[in-house]
Amino acid sequence: MSNVAKRQTSTLDKVLRIALYVCLLGMAAVYLAPFLVMLLTSLKDVEEIRSGTLLSLPSSLNFDAWSKAWSGACTGSQCEGMAPYFFNSFQIVIPAVAISTLLGALNGYVISHWKFKGSDVFFAALLVGCFIPFQVILLPMARTLGWLGIANTTTGLVMVHVVYGVAFTTLFFRNFYQSIPVELVKAARLDGAGFFTIFYRIILPVSTPIIVVTVIWQFTQIWNDFLFGVAFSGFDTQPVTVALNNLVNTSFGGKEYNVDMAAAIIAALPTLVVYILAGKYFVRGLTAGAVKG
Amino acid sequence: MASLTIDNVKKRYGQTEILKGINISIEAGEFLILVGPSGCGKSTLMNSIAGLEDVSEGRILIGDNDVTYASPKDRDIAMVFQSYALYPNMTVAENISFGLEMRKVPKEEREAEVERVAEMLQIGHLLKRKPAQLSGGQRQRVAMGRALARRPKMYLFDEPLSNLDAKLRVEMRTEIKKLHQKLGTTIVYVTHDQIEAMTLADRIAVMKDGEVQQLGTPQEIYDNPTNLFVAGFMGSPAMNFIPAKVVEQNGSYALELQAATPTIVPFPKPDSLKAHVGKEILLGLRPEMITEPQPHKEGKEFVVTADIDVEVTEPMGADTMVLTRIQSAEVNCRCNPAYPARAGEAIAMMFDTSKAVAFDKDNGQRIDN
Ligand SMILES: Nc1ncnc2c1ncn2[C@@H]1O[C@H](COP(=O)(O)OP(=O)(O)OP(=O)(O)O)[C@@H](O)[C@H]1O
Ligand SMILES: [Mg+2]
Repeated sequence: MSNVAKRQTSTLDKVLRIALYVCLLGMAAVYLAPFLVMLLTSLKDVEEIRSGTLLSLPSSLNFDAWSKAWSGACTGSQCEGMAPYFFNSFQIVIPAVAISTLLGALNGYVISHWKFKGSDVFFAALLVGCFIPFQVILLPMARTLGWLGIANTTTGLVMVHVVYGVAFTTLFFRNFYQSIPVELVKAARLDGAGFFTIFYRIILPVSTPIIVVTVIWQFTQIWNDFLFGVAFSGFDTQPVTVALNNLVNTSFGGKEYNVDMAAAIIAALPTLVVYILAGKYFVRGLTAGAVKG
Repeated sequence: MASLTIDNVKKRYGQTEILKGINISIEAGEFLILVGPSGCGKSTLMNSIAGLEDVSEGRILIGDNDVTYASPKDRDIAMVFQSYALYPNMTVAENISFGLEMRKVPKEEREAEVERVAEMLQIGHLLKRKPAQLSGGQRQRVAMGRALARRPKMYLFDEPLSNLDAKLRVEMRTEIKKLHQKLGTTIVYVTHDQIEAMTLADRIAVMKDGEVQQLGTPQEIYDNPTNLFVAGFMGSPAMNFIPAKVVEQNGSYALELQAATPTIVPFPKPDSLKAHVGKEILLGLRPEMITEPQPHKEGKEFVVTADIDVEVTEPMGADTMVLTRIQSAEVNCRCNPAYPARAGEAIAMMFDTSKAVAFDKDNGQRIDN
């Protein structure tokens, strides 16, 4: 059996492969370095930061900066740390994600399975919504919130995020529902099910992949939002991103880089957790078809 | 059980007319088959009957009720789709009972009904599975079960067997036939399969370009097609269309074919040929009417034996198809496999024109009706 084909690996191949890995590791290091610096800095005390280099390890694990960032640091005139704003953010994000996802699912369901005269135009108009820059809607939205009497409230901010997010969520759900055979809905209609029954009993149960995608997308978008937060939130409804900005810009005496870094990590933590826990479902959901057979 | 009347139904998508005035009427309990080339509007018509598409004009009656504007759920129709369209998130049992649940049938009755249907279709052992865990044939059964459970007035089947392999298709065909005999419910059934159409139907509607070309019993369609399209569509291999010249002979009319040598054959309705004397028409003759010489038919009224030039032979087991060419038309003859026809040689064939039909060469319409 001397004619069994062997994979030919020349020295050149090996060298190229090693070079590739070195490149990849290098890139990974470049992207991870800022986070590493943040983490290291947050664990040092101010003295150590001044004397050491960016990448030097802390001499001892010191969580003082973290507890200060969480509950003691000053954000403007108040000194309650990030904690209240962290919960503010959740109060904005959870309803905004839930409502925009649900509306997106309903819109997608209608556009792909209950076509009406002009539904294609409706969808095209929604798509335009994906490309409208944040800045453009700031002033009109401020007026609208004023009229509705929900300026500077959490409700108002939730509404802004829902309105802005629905274009994206609809797009996600429409593309997914497009792959659900129309016969499925026809069969259910003949069986006597109505619009909402079909949605609830037939469509939603197969939508898990796209719900995961949409929730992750909306969660990170809304959590990371700064502009809407700064523009439309009230004094005590500010989201965590705005609080972080205030915290970093408020200084009595020396700059506490360790507290700044800890606060920044706290602000980023929920999105990090979401990505680590559900990131693989994100990719899977984006590429999933709805129904086989 | 209910009769179905489709009265001048038209369907337009924008400017294009997909159904151009369909008229079909069948009795309660009849099995109607729709056949026709792809894109001729069969599914559109089925969807219109079911109420899944609005018609642009015309009326649809189920029994004596005008249901033209009724919603699908009020028409009491069940449909089986080509893709089966089973609800992927539900078990087989849930799939079957969903329609009953929607109609507020109590739970015990639903369970009894699922059991009855499962037994009828022999899918009792599958009830707890999801559709993704079933084979094609099993899915097909479940789809039928879902339709059966509600005991509707009418069933619509849109190519229900076309995704199955040949053997399973034959089995299911027989089962559907048995089922229809047992239930006696009105069925409308779309198929591309000739044999399915012939074996299942009480009536066949042959469609083309959104129009019904002919509506009749399978035998009528087979023996008495109204035009070239219907004649060519039903039957496999298709009816032969042999160019023939109308000649006058002893005060009557007959047809002259260019077999190996010019041959005169008689025609059952000679007088209908009168207007075409001297002109060429198309003689429609099924392959089984051109055979090897059979002694018991010798000398009968419409039987003529003539030599043909064999082009190709195609053994099919029970018969051998012998291909020849008469003028430019390919002609199939159905022979006994033992008959020694060989490509490139001439051999005698017996033409039986007792069931022959004649078509106008230009417009394809029957001329002997
Ligand atoms: N929503 C629609 N808009 C425009 N045209 C359509 C629409 N649905 C179907 N058609 C057209 O109507 C015609 C008939 O379609 P239909 O599905 O009824 O054909 P069919 O006879 O069932 O064909 P097949 O045997 O391939 O299933 C086709 O030409 C198709 O392109
Ligand atoms: Mg079709």
